[in-house]
Amino acid sequence: MSTATAIENKSPASAGRFEPRIAAFVCNWCTYTGADLAGTSRVQMMPNVRMVRLPCTGRIDTAFIIKAFERGADGVIVSGCHPGDCHYSEGNYHARRRFAMFKELMNFMGIDERRVTFSWVSASEGRKWGDVVDETIERVRALGPFDDYKTLLEETP
Amino acid sequence: MNELRQLARKLLADKTVGVVIGYEEGQGAVTRPSFATSPEQAEKLVFDARCVQNLASYLSPRRSTVRSLGKPAVVVKACDAKALAGLIREAQVKREDVVVISVACGGVLADPRSGKALSEAMVADRCRDCDGAHTSLADHKVGQAKAPAFGSPKVDARLAELQAMTAPQRFAFFKSVFSECTRCNVCREVCPMCFCARCMADKSEPQWIESSPHLRGNFAWHMLRAMHLAGRCVGCNECERACPAGIPLSLITRKMQKVVSERFGYSPSDDPNVPAPTGAFRLDDAQEFIR
Amino acid sequence: MSRIGVFVCHCGENIARTVDTAAVAQECGKLPGVIHSVDYKYMCSDPGQLMVKQAIAEHKLTGVVVAACSPHMHEKTFRRATAGAGLNPFLCEMANVREHCSWIHESRTAATEKAIDATRMIVEKVKRNAPLSPIHIPVTRRALVIGGGIAGIQAALDIADGGREVVLVEKEPSIGGHMSQLSETFPTLDCSQCILTPRMVEAFQHPRIKLYTYSEVESVDGYIGNFKVTIRKKARSVDEANCNGCGACQAVCPNKKIPSEFDAGLGKRSAIYVPFPQAVPNIPVIDRERCSYFRAKAKGSTKVVCGKCAEACGKGAVHFDQQDTLVTEDVGAIVVATGYRLYDIGKDQDSELLKGYGEYGYGTVPDVIDGMQFERLASASGPTAGKILRPSDGKEPTSVVFLQCIGSRDPSKGIEYCSKICCMYVAKHTMLYKHKVHHGQATVFYMDIRAAGKGYDEFTRRAIEEDGARYVRGRVSRLYRDGEVIKILGFDTLSGEPIEMDADMVVLATAMRPQAGMAELAQKLSVSYDKHGFINEAHPKLRPVETNTAGVFVAGACQSPRDIPDSVAMASATASKILGLLSNEQLEREPTVARVDESTCSACFHCERVCAYGAVEHKDIRDRSGNLVRVVASVNKGVCQGCGTCLATCPSKSLELDGFTDAQIHAAIMAF
Repeated sequence: MSTATAIENKSPASAGRFEPRIAAFVCNWCTYTGADLAGTSRVQMMPNVRMVRLPCTGRIDTAFIIKAFERGADGVIVSGCHPGDCHYSEGNYHARRRFAMFKELMNFMGIDERRVTFSWVSASEGRKWGDVVDETIERVRALGPFDDYKTLLEETP
Repeated sequence: MNELRQLARKLLADKTVGVVIGYEEGQGAVTRPSFATSPEQAEKLVFDARCVQNLASYLSPRRSTVRSLGKPAVVVKACDAKALAGLIREAQVKREDVVVISVACGGVLADPRSGKALSEAMVADRCRDCDGAHTSLADHKVGQAKAPAFGSPKVDARLAELQAMTAPQRFAFFKSVFSECTRCNVCREVCPMCFCARCMADKSEPQWIESSPHLRGNFAWHMLRAMHLAGRCVGCNECERACPAGIPLSLITRKMQKVVSERFGYSPSDDPNVPAPTGAFRLDDAQEFIR
Repeated sequence: MSRIGVFVCHCGENIARTVDTAAVAQECGKLPGVIHSVDYKYMCSDPGQLMVKQAIAEHKLTGVVVAACSPHMHEKTFRRATAGAGLNPFLCEMANVREHCSWIHESRTAATEKAIDATRMIVEKVKRNAPLSPIHIPVTRRALVIGGGIAGIQAALDIADGGREVVLVEKEPSIGGHMSQLSETFPTLDCSQCILTPRMVEAFQHPRIKLYTYSEVESVDGYIGNFKVTIRKKARSVDEANCNGCGACQAVCPNKKIPSEFDAGLGKRSAIYVPFPQAVPNIPVIDRERCSYFRAKAKGSTKVVCGKCAEACGKGAVHFDQQDTLVTEDVGAIVVATGYRLYDIGKDQDSELLKGYGEYGYGTVPDVIDGMQFERLASASGPTAGKILRPSDGKEPTSVVFLQCIGSRDPSKGIEYCSKICCMYVAKHTMLYKHKVHHGQATVFYMDIRAAGKGYDEFTRRAIEEDGARYVRGRVSRLYRDGEVIKILGFDTLSGEPIEMDADMVVLATAMRPQAGMAELAQKLSVSYDKHGFINEAHPKLRPVETNTAGVFVAGACQSPRDIPDSVAMASATASKILGLLSNEQLEREPTVARVDESTCSACFHCERVCAYGAVEHKDIRDRSGNLVRVVASVNKGVCQGCGTCLATCPSKSLELDGFTDAQIHAAIMAF
């Protein structure tokens, strides 16, 4: 199965409503734990997010986001500890610079920046995680599938 | 010119350096990089508005042949000096291992092959906002520095045009220019700051950047190249000049330079002690984009 | 070729109710490289773990994926089981299909789909996992306790009695904390100081406790077993070694009208002072903000103003030129026991969450005091020598109104939590008042009476039934001064009647808050805290005294409102955890650390610049004859904490983080 078909087959356009596929890159100590708390507290949210756990936002390379789009993500969430709360003291500060530059680059390249949510969600913010997830899904749903990126390969002249 | 040759001759004769990296006449009307290893060869050296290449890139450890020639003296324009400072800042060159010959440069040609004289219309875009001063890195200064008097860089007007477009229009624009990219890697080879022994794009396990020249891989390449150069690019525009596909790469590097300047207050500097904005942070860096 | 086993857990009904676990097992069984895929009711049970072990042996598995709860819950369990079957434990990973899936979604179809995706992503990751071995690190076998209140004292004594050295740091001039200010304690009414001071003295004299008072933690470096703590010893202006605590300096100090912190502002102290008679150590400190000598100097005066204390000191122990000093202590574990402060109902709040109380005049109405001030009035060592007298005119109040839940349980004022101890101490206050002012009437406005605890309910009933406290269920909407009395307007929600009454004195049971500067301290320690500044425990039920930073523990009211028995119990618990930790000469650490591919490293040292731990070193590569060929980056495994910031920064991708390698993350994304 070619990559293109694989992506197509996985695009959930069921029941009339577009179901975006969202990749989430989160740090282990704050957001992943906050998402655990959301579960423990039974905070209900939409099921479109697939999560990749990293130790720290400092570990999150912008190549991950690009690769997620290549793999058919319609949106991406990048989330970690609030400034000052990083388990590794400074990882999120370095990440913040990297993400700021990447956000501007995406925008410049014409990738709708609303497709990527950057957030700080602490270990005690289970509810905020639910909000971030639902808001991102609704926003990306309104933007529609990220066909621009998904069809790049086919569109190569 | 005589002053430059004289200096080079002296440095080579008294064995201060093993090689003087400068410019010499090439085929046709253009000049090319020159590697003078004897006082006699110093006679070949020239410097004028045709000398566009960023010679700092020959100091990168990647250029093992050049390194084997011995301690280098390098002819630098103001723009090249910033690249040299970058290499020193990023531990690729030790300051004491290079002799810096700063040449007074009143601007270089956008296209040295044109055979035209330097003028407002013909000047390289990067020279428009250059102060033309001798670098503080200079061990030797050749010629009287003068500030070039040209208009503001044209790339800024193009940037403003792009910025005024909608996101889909910009995406379409980059799709059209990236579709020309054959991934020949000249932009990387010519870049003084692309000194990695093995480029990320050549790493296959895992392969973050698809290596075949198709739009998907090209987007990944140009975006990640922009990220890697953000806060490090010195704006010499050699990538754009060298690109055989005519991709307006300076749009991207200039954009990132502006982002870095606006967000982190950093502009390319010829002072190696000014820390680069990547690898540093401020507690109060703007985070308006983070929920 | 990978041979992966997938084990899908039902978690009873917790997962299986929403996720079709059989379908997950079946779908994952079809993935390339997966040769065994099953589901089971309780994967973490003995039979469940046995299934994993047997499958490893039977199918010669090279990797194990358990689709169950959060790895924060059971990763250790399954890695241990994996190791038990002879497979490297780091070849086992968990897919979170409970907290991140079954518990947060209703649609069975969608949850099942998500569970399959999540498991597939982990399967692809595990295919690229490599066997790792734990890193052994040495342990500094002594502990730091931050905060010298009852929790800190208890923790320090227990650890020291257990045979390990303790460094106890207290920011005030004396240890003792809030407990030293209390009059009597519930539910027994025993004298607070009588039970506390022996412990203070014991801590002071303990051969294994090193006490730093009037000191604060400046910075903390390192990690479990190997913390390096810098302590700022604030300038006392008094030489601790020479001072014999005679008190002559305080006697001659001309500034005697300074509100005493110990007396909650109701009593006075001098500028050179010992906070209270039983202070430990009994060594004064000069309050430089208020001392004439220092004030004159701060204004730029070159004349020597005052200096009487120095003249009076027979030991020459007063040193005006003393400076703050920084000392470094190596410890293996840290207890945070910084305690609490009370909600200030005034206008100026230090947090944007807090609003203050306009209806009570923002704390400007005379004779409206807080609970700690009442403690001082009731205390034999207090400014009134234990007589209940109102602050404005020294009259004995015949009617005292107590308001509970001031700040607490009031989201509109910014604090939604219950401060836990107020119901009990208000009951105690009504009793102390009745015992001292027999004809007085105590009235309590309450929302609920929360008296869960041994002897607690009996205690509140005694206040009502034996000591005649009048309890009104309802809130006071307004209070104001009306001549001699304070007018109270409230509502009795049980009778449905509005209440208007006069009081001579009003006592507000204000909320317990963490100490000021908790966020900064938590950041120094890299521990997480909630929006109020309370330190988060690692698990609310099962790891109540650990934090999410290994080696840092928490005791007492800095974790959540706590009473004395709770704080002491927590303190002893931290001591037991720490004694356990320090019983090892070496610790095992997860091998999730970075390493450098020396063949491609370009020695730009971006990694070094972003490393918060200084774990990146320069390594010389030499040829056979010892000539330096080049320099590359190298990671010190003992120092690296595994955040991976260096990886994302390395332009040539020449770094890897074991456990989260680029290949592993790439594979997970490719399986997205």
